[in-house]
Amino acid sequence: MAELSGKYLVGVYDDDDTVLHAVPKLRKAGVKIKEVYSPFPIHGLDEALGHPRTRIGIAAFMFGVTGCCVALTLMIWTMGIDWPMIIGGKDPISIPNYIPITFELTVLFTAFGMVITFFISNGLGPGTHFHPRFDVRSTDNKFVMAIDLGRNSMSEEEISRALRDSGAEEVNIKQF
Amino acid sequence: MHVTSPVREPLIQGGKTYADVTEDICRHVEAAPTKEWKIAFGISLVVLAYGSVCLAWTWWEGLGVWGLNKTVGWAWDITNFVWWVGIGHAGTLISAILLLFRQKWRTSINRAAEAMTIFAVICAASFILMHMGRPWMAYWALPLPNAFGSLWVNFNSPLVWDVFAISTYFSVSLVFWYIGLIPDLATIRDRATSKISRLMYGTFAMGWDGSAKTWARYEYISLILAGLSTPLVLSVHTIVSMDFATSVIPGWHTTIFPPYFVAGAIFSGFAMVQNLMLITRVVYKLEDYITLEHIETMNKVITLTGSVVGVAYITEFFIAWYGGVEYEYYAFFNRMTGPYWWAYWAMMTCNVISPQLFWSRKLRRSITFTFFISVVVNIGMWFERFVIIVTSLHRDYIPSSWAMFSPTRYDIGDYIFSFGLFFTLFLLFSKYLPVVNMAEVKAVIRSTSAQLPAKIAGVAKVRQRGAAEPAYNKDQE
Amino acid sequence: MASGHSIPSIEERFEFTSGAKRNLLIGGGVGLALVLLGAYLAANGGGGHEVAAHGAEHAAQAAGHAAAEHGGASHGAAAAEGHHAKSWVARIWANLWVNGVYFTGISVVGMFFISYNYLAQAGWSAVFKRVPEALPAFLPFSGAVLLITFFFGGHDLFHWTHEGLYEVGGAEYDAIIAGKKGYLNTPFFVGRLVLYFALWYGMWRVIRNLSLQEDEIGGTEFYEKSIRLGTAFLVVFGVTSSTSAWDFVMSIDTHWFSTMFGWYTLASWHVAGLAVITLTIVMLRERGYLRAVNSSHLRDLGKFIFAFSIFWTYVWFAQFLLIYYANLPEETIYFIERFRGHGGFYKAPFFITLFLNFFFPFLVLMTRDSKFTHSILKVACWSVIIGHYFDFYTNIMPGSVGASGELGPLEWGFFLVFLCAFAYSIASQLEKANLIPRNHPMLEESLHHDIA
Repeated sequence: MAELSGKYLVGVYDDDDTVLHAVPKLRKAGVKIKEVYSPFPIHGLDEALGHPRTRIGIAAFMFGVTGCCVALTLMIWTMGIDWPMIIGGKDPISIPNYIPITFELTVLFTAFGMVITFFISNGLGPGTHFHPRFDVRSTDNKFVMAIDLGRNSMSEEEISRALRDSGAEEVNIKQF
Repeated sequence: MHVTSPVREPLIQGGKTYADVTEDICRHVEAAPTKEWKIAFGISLVVLAYGSVCLAWTWWEGLGVWGLNKTVGWAWDITNFVWWVGIGHAGTLISAILLLFRQKWRTSINRAAEAMTIFAVICAASFILMHMGRPWMAYWALPLPNAFGSLWVNFNSPLVWDVFAISTYFSVSLVFWYIGLIPDLATIRDRATSKISRLMYGTFAMGWDGSAKTWARYEYISLILAGLSTPLVLSVHTIVSMDFATSVIPGWHTTIFPPYFVAGAIFSGFAMVQNLMLITRVVYKLEDYITLEHIETMNKVITLTGSVVGVAYITEFFIAWYGGVEYEYYAFFNRMTGPYWWAYWAMMTCNVISPQLFWSRKLRRSITFTFFISVVVNIGMWFERFVIIVTSLHRDYIPSSWAMFSPTRYDIGDYIFSFGLFFTLFLLFSKYLPVVNMAEVKAVIRSTSAQLPAKIAGVAKVRQRGAAEPAYNKDQE
Repeated sequence: MASGHSIPSIEERFEFTSGAKRNLLIGGGVGLALVLLGAYLAANGGGGHEVAAHGAEHAAQAAGHAAAEHGGASHGAAAAEGHHAKSWVARIWANLWVNGVYFTGISVVGMFFISYNYLAQAGWSAVFKRVPEALPAFLPFSGAVLLITFFFGGHDLFHWTHEGLYEVGGAEYDAIIAGKKGYLNTPFFVGRLVLYFALWYGMWRVIRNLSLQEDEIGGTEFYEKSIRLGTAFLVVFGVTSSTSAWDFVMSIDTHWFSTMFGWYTLASWHVAGLAVITLTIVMLRERGYLRAVNSSHLRDLGKFIFAFSIFWTYVWFAQFLLIYYANLPEETIYFIERFRGHGGFYKAPFFITLFLNFFFPFLVLMTRDSKFTHSILKVACWSVIIGHYFDFYTNIMPGSVGASGELGPLEWGFFLVFLCAFAYSIASQLEKANLIPRNHPMLEESLHHDIA
C-alpha cells in the first residue's frame, strides 16, 4: 500500500448501522469517501462504498487446478513411469489410489495460494505498519470514515457538516 | 435489514457493548499471569518433562520398550494417534462447517476450539514420529527419491496418504486459525502499552487496518477456506480410517469406516471442546460469552454424533452377521465376548449410552454433568480405537499365535507426554492470545445479545492511550 | 444491501391449473405409451439385445459370476438357466422397483429436510417450507407400488425369495443365503416394508397437520411440537434409512454386503430430494409464485446441492476405493459385474452416474452467480435427478434382470410415468395450503434472509 499523504477528514461513528446508512447518503451528496475502517465486517459496506467485487476466487480456482495437476503428475510419473511397480495387484498407474493425495494437494495449493494472494492484494505483511492510520479506536469499538480532502471538490466545512448530519459523533482532521 | 426470530434464545448475556467485548477478552492477554495459570502451567510442564524422559528413552532404546508383540504389532501408539487426530476435528468443524451453516453460537468458541485442534494434531503427529522409532528418518515419508535408485515412496499406501492428509490438515487449519486471529491481534496491538507487545502483536497483525475492502476480501476468503476445510476435515479422518479399512484384517476392512470415523472424531472433539471451554469460561470469567445456550447446543451435537456412531456400531455388527463371512463375524463376536469384552462394553457404554442422557433438557443444561459426560465420551472414544485396533489383531488366523497386549511404562509414559504437550500449548495459547474471537462476537452481538445497551459502541477503556492519543484526535467543532 | 429489496406478500395460493393437470396427464400418457411399446418390443424378442447379441457370452458371464458368488459350479449352471428364464415381465417389475424405490426416497427426504431444519432451528428455509412438506404425500402411492411389485414380481427380483436356497442338501441350497434367513424372509421383509411406510407417512401427516394448524391459529406451540416430532423422525429415519436401503436395494445382490450401503443410499436420496425441492421452487417462481424466495435462498439451495453432490461422491468413492483396494472376491464381484458383467452393458450407466452426479453439478454450481440463475439451477437439478435415477438403476438392475437389462422405451416410459405422477402429487399438495407458512415463527427471519 502506498504511503498516505495529504489532509484527511476523519468521521468517527458509534454504530455500525449508522455508518452503513451514512455511506450512500454521503456519496449521494457528492462526498468521495476514501475508506471506512471498522472493528468487524459490516455486511454490504463494501458494496455501498462502490468497491468492486473481489476476484480472489478466480485466483483460488487456478491454484486449485495447479495443485490437482501437480499431484497427478507427481504420482503418475513416479509410480508409473520413473519406477513402475505393481503393488497390491494393481496397475502401476492406478488412479483410484491417487485420488486422496490429489484431493489433499488441491486443497493445500488452493488454501495457501489464496491466502498469499489475499496478503499481497491487501498490502498485509509483517512490519507493514503498526497503527491504524486514522483512529486507533477503529479496531476496538468505533467506525471510522476517512475522506481525502485533496480528492474532494467540496470544502472542509461542507464535508464536516455532511459527516455530522450523517451521524458521525466526532469529526477530526488528520494530516500526513 | 437483518431480522432475528423471537423464538431464538439469546446467546450473549450481560448487555455487552463493543468496548466491553474488547475489554473482557483482552484483559487476560494484557494482565500478568494469574496464580492459577502459573500452577496449571507448572503442572503441565512437569507432566511434559516426565513424558519427554519416557519418549527420549523410547527413542534411545528402541520401540522394543513398548508392549507390542508379533501378533499385536500396533496398539497404543496408533490408538493414541487416532484419538488425538479425532479430537483435532472439532475445531475445524466449528470454524468451517458451522460458518457455512451460519451458526452464530460458534463465534464464542471457535477460537479456542481451533487452537485445540492444532494442538491435538501436533500431539497426533508426535505419535507418528514415535512410531518411526528413528524420527531422524522422518523425511523418508516425503516423496523424495531413495538413495539407492529412483525408488519413490509408495503412493498406493494409505500411510503415505496420511502423511499428506495430516500435513495438509495441520497447515491449512493453522492458516485458517491465523487468519481469524489477525483482526484480534490488531486490536491488542492498538491497545498495547509496552513496546515489546506492540512489536510482537504488531508483527503478527501484519498491519491490519480493518478497512471495508480488506474486510470484504477477508470474509470472502474465510468462506472459501471454510468450504475447503469442510471436505478436508472429512478427508483426514477418512484417510486415517483407511489405514485400517484398506487392509484385509477382519474387523478393519469395512466400508462404513470413513464416515463413521469422521462422526466419531467430531463426537470426541466436541467433548474435548466442552471440557476446555467449561474450565476456560470460569477461569477467565467468560460466562456472559459462553452461556448455557452454547453448552446445550454443543451437547446436542454430542448426542447427534454419538447416535451416528451408535448406528455405525450396530450396522457393522449386523453386516458382520449378514455377510456370512465367518472371520468377520468372529471378529465382532470376539469383541463383545472375548478377553477384551471390558474394552468393548466400556466403549459401548461411554459412546452410545452416555450421550443419550442428554435427551433430558435438565441434564444437558447442567454444567457438572456436561463436564462429566464429556470426560466419559473421551474415555469411550479412546476405547473405541483400542477395540478396533487391538481386538482385531489379537486373534490371529492361527490360534497358536493368539496373544494379548499389555502396555508397558513407556506406552503409558509416551501417552502422558502428549497430555503434557497438549496442555502446555493450550495454556500458552490461553494466556497470550485472545481465547474468544472478538471481531466475530462483536459482529453478532446485535442479533444475539439478551439485552442491548443504549449505545452499542460503549466507551473504550482508555488504558494508557492518553499518552498515545494523537493530537489530531480533537473534535473539530 | 438488504433493505434494498421489498418483501412481497406472504398471502399466496398455488393454483393447480387445468392446463398444468392436462400437461402432466399427457406426460404420463406418453410415458405409459412408451412402456407399452417397450413391453411389446421386449415380449417379441426385439428387446433384450443382450440375449440376442451376446447370448453365449452372457451365459458364460452368468455362470462365472454365479460360480464366484456361490462357489459351486452346479449352482452356477442353475443360476444361468434361471437368468434365461427371466422374461420381459421381470424387466417390468425391475423398472417398477427402481422407480418405486427412487421416488420413495425423494418423498421421504422432504420429511427429512423439514425435520433437520426444525432440529437445527434453521430460519432461512421457513419461506419455502411448503415445498419439502409436499413431497411425502407420494409415499402411499410408491409404497403400494413397492408392495405390489414385491408380491407379484418379488420372485424375479429377489434371489433370496427362492425356497430351494434354504433346503439343506437340496440342489439349490446356498449356505450363505440360508444364513441370512433370520433377516431375509418374506413375512419379516413385508412387515418391515409396511412399517417403514407407516412410520414415515404417519409422522409426516402429524407434522403436516401441525403446520396447517399453525397457519390458522399461530403461536409458537406448533413450532415447539414440530421440533419434537422432527427429532423423533430423525431417530426413526436414522435407523430405517439404513435398513430400508439394505432391504430395497442391497438384498437384491443377495450375497453381497457393504456396511456403507445404508448411508450411501441415504446420500443418494438426499441430494436427489434437494434437487427436486430446488427445481420445484424455481418452477414455482417462474410461474409467478414464491416471489418472497430471494436470490439468497436460491444460492443456499444451490450450495446444498453442490455440497451434497460432493458428499454423495465422497461416500460412493470411499465405498468403491475400499472394495477396489482390498480386492476380496465376495465384495469386488459387485463392481466387476457392473464393469464387465452382462456384456459390459452396465459400464455406461455406471460412468454416467458419476458424471451427472458429480462432475456436472460440481462444475456448473461452482461460481457464485450460477446458484441463483434459474436456468443453470434447473440444468443442475435435472442432472442430479436423472443422475440419481441412474444410480439406482445401476444398483438394482444388474442383480435383478442382469443381461436382459436395457435402457429403452420401457425404462424411460416408467421414469416418465413416475415423474408425472410425483409432480401431480406435489402440485395437489401445494394447492391445499397457503404457499408460505404465514405463522411460522422463523418466517420474518427467512423473508429477510440475506447473505449478500
